Amino acid sequence: MKRIPPLVAKELTELRRSPSIFLPALLTGAAAILYPFVIAIIVPYFAGERLSNSGDFELATQMFRSQPEARRLTAEGAIQAYIFEYALVLMVGLTTVTGSMAVAAHSVIGEKQARTLEPLLATPVTTFELLTAKVLGAALPGIALMVACFTVYVGAVAIFAERGVWLMMLTARSLALVLIMGPLAALLGLQLAVCASSRVNDPRSAQQLGALIIVLPMAALQIAQFIGGVVLTTSMILALALLLCAANAVLMSVAIRLFDRESILTRWK
Amino acid sequence: MDDVSFELSPGEIVALLGPNGAGKTTTLRMLGGLIHPTSGSVLLDQQIVTAATASRLRASIGFLTEAPGLWERLTVRQNLDVYARLHAIATPRLAVDRMLDLFGISDRARDVAGELSKGLKQRVALARTLLHDPSIVLLDEPTAGLDPQSAHDLRDLVLRMRDERRAVLLSTHNLDEVDRVADRVAVLRTRLVALDTPTALRTRLFGRRVRVELARDAASHVSFLSAGGINDVKVHGAVISVGLNEHVTIAGLVRRLIESGAAIHAVIPEERSLEDVYLRLLEEPE
Repeated sequence: MKRIPPLVAKELTELRRSPSIFLPALLTGAAAILYPFVIAIIVPYFAGERLSNSGDFELATQMFRSQPEARRLTAEGAIQAYIFEYALVLMVGLTTVTGSMAVAAHSVIGEKQARTLEPLLATPVTTFELLTAKVLGAALPGIALMVACFTVYVGAVAIFAERGVWLMMLTARSLALVLIMGPLAALLGLQLAVCASSRVNDPRSAQQLGALIIVLPMAALQIAQFIGGVVLTTSMILALALLLCAANAVLMSVAIRLFDRESILTRWK
Repeated sequence: MDDVSFELSPGEIVALLGPNGAGKTTTLRMLGGLIHPTSGSVLLDQQIVTAATASRLRASIGFLTEAPGLWERLTVRQNLDVYARLHAIATPRLAVDRMLDLFGISDRARDVAGELSKGLKQRVALARTLLHDPSIVLLDEPTAGLDPQSAHDLRDLVLRMRDERRAVLLSTHNLDEVDRVADRVAVLRTRLVALDTPTALRTRLFGRRVRVELARDAASHVSFLSAGGINDVKVHGAVISVGLNEHVTIAGLVRRLIESGAAIHAVIPEERSLEDVYLRLLEEPE
C-alpha cells in the first residue's frame, strides 16, 4: 500500500503537465451545466412565458414538492429546482466519468506505448498497488472537476434562478449524489476502463467501453426522472452507493486477474 | 525458450549473446520476475521466484530495460524520486542526489526527461536501475545507440559494479563490449548453446595457437618441428603459426626452434576474435 501515494503523485504530476487532456471533459461539463439553464431560464425568458403556466411539469413538480425543503418555494421556483436538481445526475455522471475516463484509458496503454511500464513492473510494486494508483490518479482529477462544476452550477443557480432554488442543490439528497454517488460511479467506470486498458491496445476502445457502461445507465436514470418514472430519494442514493461499493470491490479483483503482466510485456507492440 | 540453466555469482559479469529472437530479453524478464517460466525455476538467493515472491524479490534486482522508459513529462529528479519511493528507500532525496552525482547528471535534475538526449536518458535509466542498491543487475542492451564516450562511461560503470560485488547479467549485440567486460559469455539460440569464459570458448572452438616471428623465412624449420611432434604448423614468410596442446607448449616450441637455428623476434599468443567464436557457435548444428 505504501507504493500507492508516489504513483498517484506521479500520475497527477504528469496530468498537470498535459492539461489539454481535460478539454473534452471541460466542454462536457460546460454543456451539462448549461442545458438545464436553457430549459429553466433561457427559453422561458425569450418566450416570455413562465414554466408554472405550462402543465408540462405538473405531475413531476407535485412529486417534487412532497419534499419538505421544496414546499416553501414559489410554483416557478419549484419547477426550476426540480429541473436543476434532476439535471445534477447527468452533470455529476458526465463530468466525473468523462474527466476520469480521459485519463484512465490512457493509463496502462499510455505506459505501455511510452515503454515506461516494463521498468515500473520491474519494481516491487504489486498489481493491486499499480491498478489502485492508476484508478485514484484518474479519479481525483475527475472528482475535482465535478466538484468545481457543481460549485459553478450552484453559484449560477443562486444568481439566475428564483430565490431559494439554490438551497435545493444542497439538500442531503443532492450532496449524497455529488459526494458519494458521483465518486463511486467514477471509480466503477475507471476500473472498467483500466480493465479494458489492460486488455485492449487502443485507448479509445478502453474509454468507450468504460464510458458506455456508466454514462448510459446515468442518462437512462436522468430520463426516467424527467418523465416522473423514478424519484431518487436520499435512501435510494445511499443504497445505490452501497451497491457501487460492492461492485467496485468485485471489479478490482477482476482487474487484478485481467492484468496479465506477461501478455502485456510480450504480446503488446 | 528451453534448457537455459546457469548460475550468476556476486562480483561476476555474464554477457548474454544471441541473434534477435534468441530469447535474451525473455531470459532477463524471467530472471527479473516479470514473467514466469512455464517449466523450471529461477532462484534468487536460494528463493524461488513465483508470483507470490516476485514482488519481494524484485527489490534486490535492478533491471535496465531495452528502452530507457522514463516518464517524459516528469523531470529527471521526479523520475528518480518516484522509483526511490517505490523501492521504499528510507531517505529518497539523499539516494536520488547520490545517483545524480554518481552519473554526473546533477545539473540536469530539473530538466524534463523528454528533452534529454538518448545518452542522457540512458544515464538516468541506469541511475534508476541502481537507485535501490540492487545486488543483481540485469542490463538489456545498455549501450545500444549510445555515442562512443557514453558507451565507454557505461562500460566503466559495469566494471565498477563487479568491484562492488554485484552480479551483472548483460544482454548485448556488441561483442567488443563483451570482450572488455564479461567474465563469462552465455550464447542463446532459444536454448543455451554455450556458457564459459571467452578464453575457454576460444580454446574449445579454435584451439590455442601461437605466432612466432622469425628473422628469416620460416619454411626451413617446419620439417625440424614436425620431427619433434609439432605438426599443426602454418607458415607465412617469416611468421610461423603453431597449434598448442598438452604436448606442444610455448616453451617447448621456442626451444625446438632455437635448436633448429631460428632467430626469434617475437612470440605472440594468437587469439581469435569473439565474433569468430560467436559465429562458429551459431553455425553449429542444434
